[in-house]
Amino acid sequence: MSKPAASPEPAVAPPESTRTGPGRLLIAVYGLFALSATARALVQIATEFSHAPVAYVLSAFAAVVYIVATVTLAKGSPTARRIAVISCSVEFVGVLVVGTWSLADKATFPDATVWSGYGSGYGYVPLVLPIFGLLWLRHWNKRAKAQAAIVPAAGDAAHVGARDHGEDAS
Amino acid sequence: MSFVNGAVPTTIIVAGLALAGYALLMTALNRRMGLGLLVALGVLEILLLVLVGIVVAKLASGARPASVPTLIGYLVAMPFVPVIAGFWGAIERSRWGPAVIGLAGLVAAVLMVRLHQIWPVIHV
Repeated sequence: MSKPAASPEPAVAPPESTRTGPGRLLIAVYGLFALSATARALVQIATEFSHAPVAYVLSAFAAVVYIVATVTLAKGSPTARRIAVISCSVEFVGVLVVGTWSLADKATFPDATVWSGYGSGYGYVPLVLPIFGLLWLRHWNKRAKAQAAIVPAAGDAAHVGARDHGEDAS
Repeated sequence: MSFVNGAVPTTIIVAGLALAGYALLMTALNRRMGLGLLVALGVLEILLLVLVGIVVAKLASGARPASVPTLIGYLVAMPFVPVIAGFWGAIERSRWGPAVIGLAGLVAAVLMVRLHQIWPVIHV
């Protein structure tokens, strides 16, 4: 139900993009995961790579995906949105594949990655995050399309209400 | 075995969760960032800096966790959580500004649990 029913946002807003509104929280969470996954992968690969090579390479891969998603969501241009859709999709597939793999083949994962057990070590946020990311991008792609169709009367036509994209771990 | 006093980490958990609750209430009420949230963030920042000092003192006394690089990473990153969240939340002029601040509170609380896992002498 992402139709115009929701609350009217304050109309004074400066130029909006995927960076503003709920996007602000989304990027904060993505940035947090980009930072922590990168740091974790670097420490693991630098200090004990042979211990669990597959897990650590996947950690590094996840880190790159989170960085790309964070940057492209913050940028918000049409090209950036297209890249963001790809990285969020890769992220979602990655969580599902690595999550299943880590449960089925525990020997390959003596140490956890961000996506092990569908992100259970991180309150399942890694599982939910790409869904919100893709919903948010879809909202923006629709809005861009609507604006391209009716160029005249500024902005408000495409005001699809900002909905609650903000589920936290807790 | 001497332990790091658990009062500070416990206070940070309580403060972080209280901040998160307060901020989420602001989001639910469709309020923007206000002075109250910034002051609360400032308090959280001071608590985190105090904890960094305590842990550094512990390191200086010669004790070591299993993974020193990880601990150092946490010590360096921790104080930036309220600062970055404050900046990122303050430039958002909608209900989502407080939501970012709430996230910082949750993160601070989770970091305390992680710190204990990294180095069990840091009690919660």
